[in-house]
This record gives sequence, C-alpha cells and structure tokens, in this order.
Amino acid sequence: MVEIMKFILIDKVIQLEAGKAIKTIKNVTLSEEYLADHFPSFPVLPGVLLLEGLIESASWLVRTTENFAHSMILLEQARNVKYKSFLPPGGQIEYSVEAKTVEENVSSFLGRGVSEGETIVEARFSLRHFNLAEQDPTMAAVDAEIIENMKNRWRLLKR
Amino acid sequence: MAQSRDEILQQVRQVLVDALGADDDEVTTEATLMGDLGAESIDFLDIVFRLEKAFDVKIPREELFPAENLMSDPEFVKDGKLTEKGLSEIKEKMPHTDLASFASDPDINKLGNLFTVGAIVNYLEAKLTTAGS
Amino acid sequence: MRWIWIDKFVEFESGKRAVAVKNVTLAEEHLHDHFPGFAVMPESLCIEAMAQTAGILVGEARKFEEKVILAKIKKAVFFDYVKPGDTLKLEAGIDSITAEAASTSGKITCDEKLIARIDLMFSHLDRNLGGKEFPEDNFVFTDIFKSLMRGVCFAEKN
Repeated sequence: MVEIMKFILIDKVIQLEAGKAIKTIKNVTLSEEYLADHFPSFPVLPGVLLLEGLIESASWLVRTTENFAHSMILLEQARNVKYKSFLPPGGQIEYSVEAKTVEENVSSFLGRGVSEGETIVEARFSLRHFNLAEQDPTMAAVDAEIIENMKNRWRLLKR
Repeated sequence: MAQSRDEILQQVRQVLVDALGADDDEVTTEATLMGDLGAESIDFLDIVFRLEKAFDVKIPREELFPAENLMSDPEFVKDGKLTEKGLSEIKEKMPHTDLASFASDPDINKLGNLFTVGAIVNYLEAKLTTAGS
Repeated sequence: MRWIWIDKFVEFESGKRAVAVKNVTLAEEHLHDHFPGFAVMPESLCIEAMAQTAGILVGEARKFEEKVILAKIKKAVFFDYVKPGDTLKLEAGIDSITAEAASTSGKITCDEKLIARIDLMFSHLDRNLGGKEFPEDNFVFTDIFKSLMRGVCFAEKN
C-alpha cells in the first residue's frame, strides 16, 4: 500500500535514546497549504501544529521503546504549552523531547522546539497508548495494519 | 473574613504551581517568578487572572507587575541602571517588593528578581486589608 | 487543507459564551494519516477547533479590533477520541478579558459524551509587541471567520 503522507508534522529524527529522549526536525515551507490561511500576509506555523510536532516526536520515542506494541498513541493531556515566538516559512525547528515516565499504557514528557537559537514552543504533555483489540477483539487485524504502516513510516523518518 | 498570611501564601503557591507547571517545592517565598520559576509575559497575565479569581479582587496588572513600562522610559533607566527617579518610581509603584538589596545595585537586568512569591503575598495582604475595610 | 476547524456557531452570547459545531468526515485528507488503518481526529486539531471557537468569542468581545492569537494552552485533557461521522460540540466561555489578553475555558462533547476540557490564554498582539514585527491589518480575523459570524444569532443580553 502506498502511503500518501500529508498530516505529518516532523521531517526527520536526528537523535534517539530509547526510553529517554528524542530530537527531530521539521522544515516549514510556503507550499504547506494551511499557511495561506494562517495567516494571509503573515504566514506562520500554527501553534497546535508545533504541539503536534512534539506529540509526534514523543510518540516515536514510545513506539520504538515499546517495540511497536500498541497501534494507538494519543495525546491524553497537555499543560502549560507556551508559544514564545513565531515560526515562518524558510525556518526549521528542532524538537527536543525528554521522557519523564514511560509505562505500558501511559507516558509523560517535557518538550521544546527551538529555531535559530530561539525557543518557539515549550510544553508538558502525556500520551496514552493502547490497542483497539483491548476493547473489541475483532479489531486485532486493524491494530496489526496500523502498526505495520507505522513501522514503514518509521523507516522513512529515521533514515 | 480576613485571610492569614499563611492562607494567602498557600493559595498563591497553588496558583503558581498551576500557571507555571512548577513543582510544589520550587515555589518558596524567596523564589523569583522569572529566574527560578520560568515565568514570562504571558504567564504574568495568566497569574493575574488566576489570582483575581482565587481572591475575588480586581488586580490591575500594572499594580502587581509594574516594572515593564518603567524599563523603556529614559527618565527612569540610564546605562542599564535605574536612575534616582526610576528608583523612587519603583518604591512608589511596588511597595510590596523588597527594594533594600536592589537599591544598592539597581541593574535593570536584575529588576525581575523583585518579583518573588513573597512580593505577591505582600501585595495581596495589603489589597485584601483595604478591600475588607 | 483549509485552516478552519469549526463549521458554524449555534449559540453566541457576546463577551460571555459561544457554542460551535464541527463535523468530522472521511473526506478530510489528514484523517487518512492519523492513523493509516483507523481514522481519529488528531487531538491537536481538536485544540485548534476550541481555539477558533474561543478566539472568535474573544475577538468579537472587542469588536475584532485586536489581533487575537493563541499564546498558551493552560490545560487540555482528553477523555475519549473522535471518529469520522462524529459531530463535535465546542462550548467556550470567557473567564477574564482585558486590553492585553483573555483567558477562556471550554469543553468538547460528542452526543453528550465528554471528549475534552480545554483552557486557553489568548494574547492581543498589538498590546504585547515583544519586539516582533508583523503587518498592521488584522490578519487574524479573515473572511472565513467573518463568514462564520454572518450566521450568528446573538443571544439576548440579560
């Protein structure tokens, strides 16, 4: 199955310490469609997509640490997410995420995004990880499909 | 019903823990909001809103954290330090802060150190007393 | 992907409270990536839907004269996930508002089921310059947002 990837808010993983920390980068370019609306005459990466970059970075840390045991990794809680500066097209942001705890079904993190020496975003957040089959055993095949797709995606991100 | 200083302190500490994501034991009376607890502009606004709700008072932001406007005025700041005028302006606007050590070296970069947890408690103690009377 | 995460307002009490709805449909491209095999609306976009609901409420309270931008997510807690076919109801209320900023609290529900509680802080950009440069015109409240307001029926002020 060829995956058409659009909603991915990181481009590359640059550092990974299992169970502990991950660093990723994202390029921002004018051809990203939502920039036309956010904002016209002043394009900047939307704050929630900066958070999404942190969430994705942390999710990869969890997936690799738990060896892709779970299909679903979702944001459970985000706190004190501060937007300190703007990230315009042509910029690149480096996300650093540190795990505070990584357990079987929950994990918590401290994340930060920096561009050209300036902190753009800071956040504290927790994720929850589970398989759909836990609630509905008939979904086991769907879990397997998601996990397979995420393993393929990982191969592209960590190159 | 007047609140004791300790009751005020506990509520202030809870507000700061929530607003700044700080650990309970980091929020000591001497802790500075900016230096020790990592507070920034948006956090100062968040803190003021939360204190207003917690203590049911109106807190004009310039009353609790006035220094920001001060810092850009050339009458008050010269060569990175507060002038005599600047110092007396601070004394007038921020009676809730501890100016003794600051006055000996009124370095503008150190202005942030005036905003301590204790300063907020002092401000609220005074504010709540007048509100009650 | 158009950057508009609510479909219409169903209640609007100027300066106080607003309720918007958002339909979630497989026709939205990003759902196919999140995740490939089982579509779930990303929590970050649920937060944006709330930010737009609350942001317009805050903007309208000051007649859309301020550039209202999301400055801080105080807290966003998720209790369940959202799937294609769901209709989200986003309720936001203004807790505090001054010339410089506003604080809002809100919740997202789907068929009475609680999906999330989200508390936000908005900054009025022109009052909090912070040395950054940006255009004079209000680029935040664009035509899309203004068209959402056209359908709004303002609640009677008590």
